[in-house]
Amino acid sequence: MRKLPYILPLLLTLLVVGCGKQESDLPVNTRLGGEFTLTDHNGEPFSEEQLKGKVSILFFGYTHCPDICPAVLARVAQVYRQLDDAGEADQVQPVFITFDPERDTAEHLKEYLPWFKADIIGLTGSLEEIRQVAEQFGVVFIKDQAEQDYLFTHSDYIYLLDDQGRVRKLYPADFTIDEVVTDAKSLL
Amino acid sequence: MPRACFKSLLVGAVLAFAMPAHAELTFAEPWLRAVPPVSPTMAGYVTLNNSGDEAVTITGVSTPAAGHTMLHDMESVDDGSRRMVHLHHLEIPAGESVVLAPGGKHLMLMKLAEVPAPGDTVEICFHLKGGQDACAGFPVRQPSQSDG
Repeated sequence: MRKLPYILPLLLTLLVVGCGKQESDLPVNTRLGGEFTLTDHNGEPFSEEQLKGKVSILFFGYTHCPDICPAVLARVAQVYRQLDDAGEADQVQPVFITFDPERDTAEHLKEYLPWFKADIIGLTGSLEEIRQVAEQFGVVFIKDQAEQDYLFTHSDYIYLLDDQGRVRKLYPADFTIDEVVTDAKSLL
Repeated sequence: MPRACFKSLLVGAVLAFAMPAHAELTFAEPWLRAVPPVSPTMAGYVTLNNSGDEAVTITGVSTPAAGHTMLHDMESVDDGSRRMVHLHHLEIPAGESVVLAPGGKHLMLMKLAEVPAPGDTVEICFHLKGGQDACAGFPVRQPSQSDG
Protein backbone atom coordinates (compact mmCIF):
# COMPACT_ATOMS: atom_id res chain seq x y z
CA MET A 1 0.00 0.00 0.00
CA ARG A 2 2.97 2.30 0.52
CA LYS A 3 3.64 2.21 -3.23
CA LEU A 4 0.12 3.36 -4.08
CA PRO A 5 0.91 7.12 -3.99
CA TYR A 6 3.56 6.55 -6.67
CA ILE A 7 1.53 4.23 -8.88
CA LEU A 8 -1.64 6.29 -8.78
CA PRO A 9 -0.30 9.28 -10.83
CA LEU A 10 1.12 6.83 -13.38
CA LEU A 11 -2.22 5.07 -13.71
CA LEU A 12 -4.05 8.38 -14.05
CA THR A 13 -1.58 9.52 -16.74
CA LEU A 14 -2.10 6.32 -18.72
CA LEU A 15 -5.86 6.70 -18.35
CA VAL A 16 -5.80 10.28 -19.63
CA VAL A 17 -3.54 9.41 -22.56
CA GLY A 18 -5.71 6.41 -23.41
CA CYS A 19 -8.87 8.51 -23.47
CA GLY A 20 -7.32 11.38 -25.40
CA LYS A 21 -7.31 12.06 -29.12
CA GLN A 22 -5.75 9.32 -31.17
CA GLU A 23 -2.81 10.61 -33.18
CA SER A 24 -3.16 10.35 -36.95
CA ASP A 25 -0.70 8.16 -38.83
CA LEU A 26 -0.38 10.80 -41.53
CA PRO A 27 3.18 12.15 -41.58
CA VAL A 28 3.87 15.88 -41.38
CA ASN A 29 5.19 17.22 -44.68
CA THR A 30 7.74 19.85 -43.66
CA ARG A 31 8.71 20.80 -47.22
CA LEU A 32 5.34 22.26 -48.24
CA GLY A 33 3.44 25.24 -46.89
CA GLY A 34 4.61 28.31 -45.02
CA GLU A 35 3.65 31.88 -44.25
CA PHE A 36 1.52 33.82 -46.71
CA THR A 37 -0.97 36.65 -46.91
CA LEU A 38 -3.69 36.71 -49.55
CA THR A 39 -7.14 38.31 -49.87
CA ASP A 40 -10.28 36.33 -49.11
CA HIS A 41 -13.57 36.43 -51.05
CA ASN A 42 -14.81 39.19 -48.74
CA GLY A 43 -11.85 41.38 -49.66
CA GLU A 44 -10.21 40.87 -46.26
CA PRO A 45 -6.56 39.90 -45.68
CA PHE A 46 -6.13 36.20 -45.03
CA SER A 47 -2.96 34.58 -43.70
CA GLU A 48 -1.91 31.00 -43.04
CA GLU A 49 -2.49 31.72 -39.31
CA GLN A 50 -6.22 31.70 -40.02
CA LEU A 51 -6.00 28.10 -41.18
CA LYS A 52 -5.05 27.02 -37.67
CA GLY A 53 -7.73 25.55 -35.45
CA LYS A 54 -9.39 23.59 -38.25
CA VAL A 55 -8.41 20.85 -40.64
CA SER A 56 -8.13 22.39 -44.11
CA ILE A 57 -8.66 20.95 -47.56
CA LEU A 58 -6.66 23.34 -49.73
CA PHE A 59 -6.45 23.40 -53.51
CA PHE A 60 -5.52 25.71 -56.37
CA GLY A 61 -7.42 26.44 -59.58
CA TYR A 62 -9.28 29.12 -61.53
CA THR A 63 -12.94 29.66 -62.29
CA HIS A 64 -12.54 29.85 -66.08
CA CYS A 65 -11.25 26.26 -66.00
CA PRO A 66 -14.05 24.11 -67.44
CA ASP A 67 -13.03 20.57 -66.53
CA ILE A 68 -10.60 19.79 -63.70
CA CYS A 69 -11.29 22.74 -61.36
CA PRO A 70 -15.11 22.44 -61.17
CA ALA A 71 -14.65 18.68 -60.87
CA VAL A 72 -12.33 19.16 -57.88
CA LEU A 73 -14.68 21.74 -56.36
CA ALA A 74 -17.60 19.32 -56.71
CA ARG A 75 -15.61 16.50 -55.13
CA VAL A 76 -14.43 18.66 -52.23
CA ALA A 77 -18.07 19.65 -51.74
CA GLN A 78 -18.98 15.95 -51.56
CA VAL A 79 -16.28 15.47 -48.89
CA TYR A 80 -17.69 18.42 -46.98
CA ARG A 81 -21.25 17.06 -47.16
CA GLN A 82 -20.14 13.67 -45.85
CA LEU A 83 -18.38 15.37 -42.94
CA ASP A 84 -21.48 17.51 -42.43
CA ASP A 85 -23.63 14.38 -42.24
CA ALA A 86 -21.24 13.11 -39.57
CA GLY A 87 -21.55 16.41 -37.68
CA GLU A 88 -17.89 17.27 -38.23
CA ALA A 89 -17.97 19.84 -41.04
CA ASP A 90 -17.53 22.74 -38.62
CA GLN A 91 -14.03 21.45 -37.88
CA VAL A 92 -13.02 21.31 -41.55
CA GLN A 93 -12.34 24.26 -43.88
CA PRO A 94 -12.14 23.95 -47.68
CA VAL A 95 -9.87 26.64 -49.19
CA PHE A 96 -9.66 27.50 -52.90
CA ILE A 97 -6.68 29.58 -54.07
CA THR A 98 -6.93 31.03 -57.56
CA PHE A 99 -3.91 31.53 -59.73
CA ASP A 100 -5.93 33.79 -62.04
CA PRO A 101 -6.29 37.01 -59.99
CA GLU A 102 -6.96 39.03 -63.12
CA ARG A 103 -10.38 37.40 -63.59
CA ASP A 104 -10.90 35.78 -60.17
CA THR A 105 -11.38 38.88 -58.08
CA ALA A 106 -12.68 38.66 -54.52
CA GLU A 107 -16.11 39.74 -55.83
CA HIS A 108 -16.18 37.01 -58.46
CA LEU A 109 -15.08 34.32 -56.00
CA LYS A 110 -17.80 35.48 -53.61
CA GLU A 111 -20.39 34.92 -56.33
CA TYR A 112 -18.91 31.71 -57.68
CA LEU A 113 -18.00 29.59 -54.65
CA PRO A 114 -21.21 29.52 -52.52
CA TRP A 115 -22.96 27.54 -55.29
CA PHE A 116 -20.97 24.48 -54.17
CA LYS A 117 -22.52 24.70 -50.67
CA ALA A 118 -19.30 23.75 -48.93
CA ASP A 119 -18.40 26.92 -47.02
CA ILE A 120 -15.35 27.31 -49.25
CA ILE A 121 -13.00 30.21 -48.54
CA GLY A 122 -11.80 31.72 -51.82
CA LEU A 123 -8.38 33.37 -51.84
CA THR A 124 -6.94 35.73 -54.41
CA GLY A 125 -4.23 38.39 -54.37
CA SER A 126 -1.56 39.94 -56.49
CA LEU A 127 0.15 37.67 -58.98
CA GLU A 128 3.34 37.90 -56.90
CA GLU A 129 1.53 36.88 -53.70
CA ILE A 130 -0.13 33.96 -55.44
CA ARG A 131 3.08 32.86 -57.09
CA GLN A 132 4.77 32.78 -53.68
CA VAL A 133 2.04 30.59 -52.14
CA ALA A 134 2.03 28.34 -55.18
CA GLU A 135 5.78 27.81 -54.84
CA GLN A 136 5.35 27.03 -51.15
CA PHE A 137 2.97 24.24 -52.11
CA GLY A 138 4.96 23.09 -55.14
CA VAL A 139 2.22 24.22 -57.53
CA VAL A 140 3.09 24.99 -61.13
CA PHE A 141 0.87 27.29 -63.19
CA ILE A 142 1.60 28.76 -66.59
CA LYS A 143 -0.68 31.07 -68.52
CA ASP A 144 -1.08 29.47 -71.92
CA GLN A 145 -2.27 32.32 -74.11
CA ALA A 146 -2.21 36.08 -74.11
CA GLU A 147 -5.72 36.09 -75.58
CA GLN A 148 -8.88 37.05 -73.76
CA ASP A 149 -9.91 33.43 -73.13
CA TYR A 150 -6.57 32.23 -71.85
CA LEU A 151 -6.16 28.94 -70.05
CA PHE A 152 -3.54 27.62 -67.65
CA THR A 153 -1.25 24.65 -67.59
CA HIS A 154 -1.30 23.74 -63.94
CA SER A 155 -0.73 21.08 -61.34
CA ASP A 156 -3.85 19.93 -59.58
CA TYR A 157 -3.00 18.40 -56.22
CA ILE A 158 -5.28 18.73 -53.21
CA TYR A 159 -3.67 19.26 -49.80
CA LEU A 160 -4.92 18.10 -46.43
CA LEU A 161 -3.67 20.32 -43.61
CA ASP A 162 -4.01 19.63 -39.91
CA ASP A 163 -5.31 22.12 -37.35
CA GLN A 164 -1.83 23.59 -37.01
CA GLY A 165 -1.69 24.37 -40.71
CA ARG A 166 0.78 21.61 -41.52
CA VAL A 167 0.47 19.62 -44.73
CA ARG A 168 -0.33 16.01 -43.90
CA LYS A 169 -1.29 14.48 -47.24
CA LEU A 170 -1.58 15.20 -50.97
CA TYR A 171 -4.18 13.78 -53.33
CA PRO A 172 -4.58 13.76 -57.11
CA ALA A 173 -7.51 15.66 -58.65
CA ASP A 174 -9.51 12.43 -59.03
CA PHE A 175 -9.13 11.57 -55.35
CA THR A 176 -11.42 9.11 -53.63
CA ILE A 177 -13.96 10.98 -51.56
CA ASP A 178 -14.05 8.35 -48.81
CA GLU A 179 -10.26 8.46 -48.47
CA VAL A 180 -10.22 12.21 -47.85
CA VAL A 181 -13.14 11.95 -45.43
CA THR A 182 -11.36 9.21 -43.47
CA ASP A 183 -8.06 11.12 -43.43
CA ALA A 184 -9.72 14.38 -42.39
CA LYS A 185 -11.51 12.59 -39.55
CA SER A 186 -8.21 11.10 -38.39
CA LEU A 187 -6.92 14.65 -37.85
CA LEU A 188 -9.91 15.87 -35.83
CA MET B 1 -31.97 -8.51 -114.95
CA PRO B 2 -35.55 -8.99 -113.70
CA ARG B 3 -37.39 -5.71 -113.34
CA ALA B 4 -38.15 -6.30 -109.60
CA CYS B 5 -34.49 -6.95 -108.87
CA PHE B 6 -33.39 -3.80 -110.70
CA LYS B 7 -35.97 -1.84 -108.76
CA SER B 8 -34.62 -3.18 -105.49
CA LEU B 9 -31.07 -2.25 -106.46
CA LEU B 10 -32.19 1.22 -107.48
CA VAL B 11 -34.00 1.75 -104.19
CA GLY B 12 -30.98 0.46 -102.32
CA ALA B 13 -28.64 2.79 -104.18
CA VAL B 14 -30.89 5.78 -103.54
CA LEU B 15 -31.08 4.87 -99.85
CA ALA B 16 -27.31 4.48 -99.61
CA PHE B 17 -26.75 7.96 -101.03
CA ALA B 18 -29.57 9.42 -99.01
CA MET B 19 -28.16 8.06 -95.75
CA PRO B 20 -25.90 10.72 -94.30
CA ALA B 21 -22.47 9.68 -93.10
CA HIS B 22 -23.30 10.66 -89.54
CA ALA B 23 -26.02 8.01 -89.39
CA GLU B 24 -23.29 5.75 -88.01
CA LEU B 25 -22.36 8.23 -85.27
CA THR B 26 -24.41 7.76 -82.13
CA PHE B 27 -24.17 9.40 -78.73
CA ALA B 28 -24.22 7.60 -75.39
CA GLU B 29 -24.74 9.31 -72.04
CA PRO B 30 -24.22 12.92 -73.07
CA TRP B 31 -24.13 15.43 -70.19
CA LEU B 32 -22.92 18.88 -69.23
CA ARG B 33 -21.39 19.50 -65.83
CA ALA B 34 -23.59 21.86 -63.81
CA VAL B 35 -21.66 24.98 -62.81
CA PRO B 36 -22.45 28.19 -60.88
CA PRO B 37 -24.65 30.71 -62.74
CA VAL B 38 -21.68 33.12 -62.87
CA SER B 39 -19.41 30.53 -64.42
CA PRO B 40 -17.83 31.67 -67.67
CA THR B 41 -17.35 28.14 -69.03
CA MET B 42 -18.73 24.63 -68.76
CA ALA B 43 -17.63 21.21 -69.92
CA GLY B 44 -19.52 18.45 -71.73
CA TYR B 45 -18.98 14.72 -71.90
CA VAL B 46 -20.29 11.89 -74.08
CA THR B 47 -19.32 8.59 -75.62
CA LEU B 48 -19.19 8.82 -79.41
CA ASN B 49 -19.90 5.50 -81.11
CA ASN B 50 -19.17 4.88 -84.76
CA SER B 51 -21.08 1.77 -85.77
CA GLY B 52 -20.30 2.27 -89.46
CA ASP B 53 -17.55 0.74 -91.57
CA GLU B 54 -15.82 4.04 -92.28
CA ALA B 55 -14.05 6.44 -89.96
CA VAL B 56 -15.99 9.53 -88.89
CA THR B 57 -14.04 12.76 -88.42
CA ILE B 58 -15.38 15.59 -86.29
CA THR B 59 -14.05 18.93 -87.49
CA GLY B 60 -15.85 21.26 -85.10
CA VAL B 61 -18.56 21.64 -82.47
CA SER B 62 -21.15 24.33 -81.84
CA THR B 63 -24.19 25.12 -79.76
CA PRO B 64 -26.50 28.13 -79.63
CA ALA B 65 -25.89 28.22 -75.88
CA ALA B 66 -22.25 29.27 -76.22
CA GLY B 67 -20.40 31.82 -78.28
CA HIS B 68 -17.53 29.43 -78.72
CA THR B 69 -17.30 25.64 -78.35
CA MET B 70 -14.18 23.54 -78.66
CA LEU B 71 -13.01 19.97 -78.38
CA HIS B 72 -10.22 19.70 -75.84
CA ASP B 73 -7.89 17.00 -74.64
CA MET B 74 -5.82 16.89 -71.48
CA GLU B 75 -2.07 16.54 -71.79
CA SER B 76 0.38 15.72 -69.00
CA VAL B 77 3.55 17.77 -68.72
CA ASP B 78 6.87 16.49 -67.33
CA ASP B 79 6.62 18.63 -64.17
CA GLY B 80 3.41 16.84 -63.16
CA SER B 81 1.06 19.58 -64.33
CA ARG B 82 -1.63 19.15 -66.96
CA ARG B 83 -2.82 21.36 -69.73
CA MET B 84 -5.70 21.48 -72.14
CA VAL B 85 -4.99 21.23 -75.82
CA HIS B 86 -7.40 22.18 -78.60
CA LEU B 87 -8.35 19.27 -80.84
CA HIS B 88 -8.84 20.63 -84.33
CA HIS B 89 -10.38 17.35 -85.39
CA LEU B 90 -11.28 14.08 -83.77
CA GLU B 91 -11.44 10.80 -85.67
CA ILE B 92 -13.58 7.93 -84.54
CA PRO B 93 -12.39 4.81 -86.39
CA ALA B 94 -14.94 2.47 -87.94
CA GLY B 95 -16.60 0.29 -85.36
CA GLU B 96 -14.97 2.08 -82.45
CA SER B 97 -15.89 4.57 -79.75
CA VAL B 98 -14.22 7.66 -78.32
CA VAL B 99 -15.02 8.65 -74.76
CA LEU B 100 -15.19 12.27 -73.70
CA ALA B 101 -14.93 12.15 -69.90
CA PRO B 102 -13.77 14.31 -66.96
CA GLY B 103 -9.99 14.64 -66.86
CA GLY B 104 -9.65 13.62 -70.52
CA LYS B 105 -11.14 14.65 -73.82
CA HIS B 106 -14.10 16.98 -73.32
CA LEU B 107 -16.21 19.69 -74.85
CA MET B 108 -15.50 23.20 -73.65
CA LEU B 109 -18.31 25.74 -73.90
CA MET B 110 -17.18 29.36 -73.63
CA LYS B 111 -18.88 32.74 -73.84
CA LEU B 112 -22.10 31.29 -72.46
CA ALA B 113 -25.10 33.46 -73.27
CA GLU B 114 -26.74 32.19 -70.10
CA VAL B 115 -25.47 29.39 -67.91
CA PRO B 116 -27.90 26.48 -68.27
CA ALA B 117 -29.17 25.09 -64.98
CA PRO B 118 -29.36 21.49 -63.81
CA GLY B 119 -32.32 19.88 -65.58
CA ASP B 120 -31.90 21.95 -68.75
CA THR B 121 -30.94 20.26 -72.01
CA VAL B 122 -28.58 21.93 -74.47
CA GLU B 123 -28.38 20.88 -78.11
CA ILE B 124 -24.81 20.47 -79.29
CA CYS B 125 -23.92 19.79 -82.93
CA PHE B 126 -20.79 18.02 -84.13
CA HIS B 127 -19.66 19.12 -87.58
CA LEU B 128 -18.38 16.20 -89.61
CA LYS B 129 -15.91 15.98 -92.42
CA GLY B 130 -18.06 15.93 -95.54
CA GLY B 131 -20.32 18.69 -94.36
CA GLN B 132 -22.96 16.94 -92.30
CA ASP B 133 -23.89 17.69 -88.71
CA ALA B 134 -24.74 15.23 -85.97
CA CYS B 135 -26.56 16.78 -83.03
CA ALA B 136 -27.60 15.58 -79.59
CA GLY B 137 -29.27 16.96 -76.47
CA PHE B 138 -26.90 17.27 -73.52
CA PRO B 139 -28.72 17.36 -70.16
CA VAL B 140 -27.12 19.51 -67.48
CA ARG B 141 -26.53 17.71 -64.21
CA GLN B 142 -24.32 17.38 -61.17
CA PRO B 143 -21.61 14.76 -61.48
CA SER B 144 -22.14 11.44 -59.77
CA GLN B 145 -19.30 9.87 -57.77
CA SER B 146 -18.48 7.61 -60.72
CA ASP B 147 -18.28 10.53 -63.17
CA GLY B 148 -15.23 12.08 -61.55
